Amino acid sequence: MPTITFSYKDFQQLLGKKMPFAEFEEKLLLYAKAEVEGYEKENDEVTVKLDDTNLPYLWCPEGLARFFQGILCLRKGIAKLKVNSSSYKIIAGSSVSKVRPYITAFVAKGRRIDDYILKQLVQLQEKFCEGYGRRRQKVSIGLYSYKRLAFPVHYTAVEPESVKFVPLEFTKALSLKEILSQHPKGQQYGWIIKGFQKYPLLADDKGEVLSLPPVINSNFTGKLEVGDSELLFEATGTDEESINLAANIFAQNLQERGFGIHSVTVSYPGRTVIAPAANKERVKISAKEVEKLIGLKLAEPEIKSLLLKMGYDVVDGHAVVPPYRADIMHPVDVIEDVAIAYGFDKIADEPLTSYTIGSKEKTTVAINALRKLVVGMGFQEVFSHILADKNSLITGAGAVELENFMSETYSAVRNSVLPQLLDVLAENKHVDYPQKVFEEGIVAAREGSRISEWRSLALMAAHPKADFTEMKQYVTALLAATSAKFEILPAEHPAFMKGRAGSIVIDKEIVGVIGEISPAVLSKFGIETPAAAIEINLDFLFTD
Amino acid sequence: MAASLHRLERAVLPCLEKHSSVAEIIAAAKMQEVEVLRALQWLQNKGLARLTEKIEEIIRLGENGKAYAKSLLPEARFLNSIASKPLPLSGIKKAASLSDEEMGASIGALMRIKAIEPVAVAAEKTFKITESGRQVAKAGLRAQRFISGRNFPVGINDLSGEEKNIVAELKKRKDVIEEEVVKKRTAFLTELGKEVLKKAAASAETVDRLTPEMLVTGKWRSTEFRSYNLTAAAPRTFFGKLQPYREFLEEVREKFVSLGFEEMTGPIVESEFWNMDALFMPQFHSARDIHDVYYVKEPKYATDLPWQLVKKVKAAHENGFGTGSKGWRYGFSEEKTARLIMRSQTTACSARKMVSQGMKIPGKYFAIGRCFRYDVIDAKHLADFNQVEGIIVEEGINLRHLIGLLKLFAKEFCNTDKVKIVPSYFPFTEPSASLYAKHPELGWMELAGAGIFRPEMVKPLTGKHVPVIAWGIGIDRIAMFRLGLNDIRELFSHDLAFLRNAKAV
Repeated sequence: MPTITFSYKDFQQLLGKKMPFAEFEEKLLLYAKAEVEGYEKENDEVTVKLDDTNLPYLWCPEGLARFFQGILCLRKGIAKLKVNSSSYKIIAGSSVSKVRPYITAFVAKGRRIDDYILKQLVQLQEKFCEGYGRRRQKVSIGLYSYKRLAFPVHYTAVEPESVKFVPLEFTKALSLKEILSQHPKGQQYGWIIKGFQKYPLLADDKGEVLSLPPVINSNFTGKLEVGDSELLFEATGTDEESINLAANIFAQNLQERGFGIHSVTVSYPGRTVIAPAANKERVKISAKEVEKLIGLKLAEPEIKSLLLKMGYDVVDGHAVVPPYRADIMHPVDVIEDVAIAYGFDKIADEPLTSYTIGSKEKTTVAINALRKLVVGMGFQEVFSHILADKNSLITGAGAVELENFMSETYSAVRNSVLPQLLDVLAENKHVDYPQKVFEEGIVAAREGSRISEWRSLALMAAHPKADFTEMKQYVTALLAATSAKFEILPAEHPAFMKGRAGSIVIDKEIVGVIGEISPAVLSKFGIETPAAAIEINLDFLFTD
Repeated sequence: MAASLHRLERAVLPCLEKHSSVAEIIAAAKMQEVEVLRALQWLQNKGLARLTEKIEEIIRLGENGKAYAKSLLPEARFLNSIASKPLPLSGIKKAASLSDEEMGASIGALMRIKAIEPVAVAAEKTFKITESGRQVAKAGLRAQRFISGRNFPVGINDLSGEEKNIVAELKKRKDVIEEEVVKKRTAFLTELGKEVLKKAAASAETVDRLTPEMLVTGKWRSTEFRSYNLTAAAPRTFFGKLQPYREFLEEVREKFVSLGFEEMTGPIVESEFWNMDALFMPQFHSARDIHDVYYVKEPKYATDLPWQLVKKVKAAHENGFGTGSKGWRYGFSEEKTARLIMRSQTTACSARKMVSQGMKIPGKYFAIGRCFRYDVIDAKHLADFNQVEGIIVEEGINLRHLIGLLKLFAKEFCNTDKVKIVPSYFPFTEPSASLYAKHPELGWMELAGAGIFRPEMVKPLTGKHVPVIAWGIGIDRIAMFRLGLNDIRELFSHDLAFLRNAKAV
């Protein structure tokens, strides 16, 4: 979820109205799916977390102010974008179609960029590209100082070693291939293009490189600075709709900041696009569907005024989606906005009236009966993580390891509860004995290409006289209570002493192990008291 | 005096002839430590023995100390990660799997001994190993040698001067070194004790316990039994008990059953299909990458996917599956959908339920299940935790019923009518809402999230256009409050003293 920081004064200026901060905070939560994370009044700095990962136009003070203007009834419907048509041109070659096929752009002029605006532009650029743009794979955005560019700009794919330029923050010219391996941004984003034979490149008509999308801009043309008043916005990506969304959001924001927006014509082989392209989608909204989903009986004019408040235009019973939104997939998305505009706090609740019978799973009932039985035998229950250290697993059974673990402590799914009970003993050496502990829980093991999961019950007793006989008493009592007939056959098990370990067998199937913990294992855990244990796979209880 | 001796005193007294250390006396008496200690105390009170105690300070490794002994100190991992080539901070963090806090501490520690230095030109702060750092890495950090090489516990007096300095440094870190003061006890017979011992050896049988034999023979009639000191402390004993957090979850389970919900379950190793795709979470969603979900190393793919259903779900993602939706508009990968992961949300159970033959309409379902997220573990986050989620399937239900349900949850779980219900975002519900409830003690808390499943999700799974309310409750904060915990990790505590003493009523 994106988190953004901006000046509250700036927000109020964009809003065109003073607003007590408490009201902002409350309305943000009630209408914008967002929350104030922090407010430093003395620095005039507010931090907002936005829940809706699909609505990037709100990830900036301009978008939030526009949204609040609607909520406060200061404006209605879609904010219009005035695009001045101009002759700027980007020529996209056919070579980019494989690696990064789409590009859009516009030019903004007419206002000096100050430090704050630059920060806001960069913040939205980063949040948009990281989140919505899937770490720049789907969309990446470049901002350039217009004064250094010679149009038309050329968008082509080139051999990685055929071009050199000085990337941002560097002093030396590097080939595209070198940038990927040497520049921090190359190391971070290089994976997006690394697999292709040719890399995308943006260069102006004099051959001056603008950038290597989606990795890095040039240190010369690709540096937008405080004091600039003309800039080129460009977005490239693998999804045309998403780059258009980026252009529309930025253009709208810059216009609201006092810039004039000038079109750029993108000419692909065989077609041309004039950007920013404001495609306005229509969604049919019926009062019946509204009532069905949100339970509110609203007349068409009411629905219309709620939609206008949420920034839609309404034409012939259709909601027109603003070009700076791309989150509307289905009429339910629009209907939710009707409910939000109405106010969740004003929607009367309705009780559920259907009569249904609650019940627990059969396994839960059986397991709880067993847990109580074990407690009756004097055992303290413990509850552990299912993830365990892959080095602590019982050898023999196939391990279910994690590919991307963060620490070895949680690097595999446990295949037995016994190591965790040993861990309990190891952690409590200075606590009164006898220590009798048990745990029931999920364990898993890999068998070839399959993974099986089961419920396991393990009991462990530690005191100077803990032995096989004691454990046999418990298992006898326990299994007598389940009416399962069992026998114990000699077995070898890595956790148990030789000659004092057995398999618990029901209907010729091994369902568990019993024995005295081997001194080697005890000393590995640093346990200085003898211990004995049982572990039973409870699946036999649940097969009909 | 010999006759009034307690059974335990009589058992311990002879051991004092040959042994003086309490540990040896315990072994010789073949009795439990508490019994011997009580007997010695009584003997001292009667002037028969003299007990002395010497205090000794020891140190042992704390929880982090043990971990570092095994998997190296953060700064050692830091140093190793840049041994072969300089790395930016993010690279080091990943390679050495360090938290932000550990990164900071490591940089400080390593800079102090000049083992690393920043590389000047890089855009992201980058460090390289210095020559002296290389020597340190080769020999091992002093502190590392100490915690990995020493046998703990160690008496403070047994530490060398250098080791003392290392310990002083390590003590500044959390849970690396634990100090404890232990008592070394010895006991001697007094002159009176020696005399009584002689007499006791000569005296007749005990009159301490009533025996079956006395009852059979009637000898009890002519026997005088020793009176007990009723105020003497009895040794504590520990009975079996259920784990308090698990009991809390059982209580939650009972609550849902009483509200008419049927329990659902599902596997913890899930395919991305059931965990996300069936829920209409697009395959490019940020909550699906390796920084949020645990991927299973081997096998990588589920072999039992319902491919007919996968086709429908794929269509829903790509083009809306005829629900009037545009869908997410991207190429759905059938390889990715089969990828095995650790279940990250119990909503996977809801998806399985909705496909099953047994789903009733109207029906209410809930699951309490273990979920897993790739997360840094701290006082507020676990990688392995429980979730409580469920669905209500019923013709005619809408947002107003959902709001009613959330108010019911506030009442049931926080005992409050004070609620804020606000719009929220989940990829599989529209509309979506979050519930904030004012807990009488904890104040405002985010208690639940809920929504109405999107038609693009419901139709492929059920073949119908039926409204389904989905909800999830965050109960761990309430569990921690009930158990008196401030650290979420303690819900899974292995501390027996805590578990034995936890309140059950």
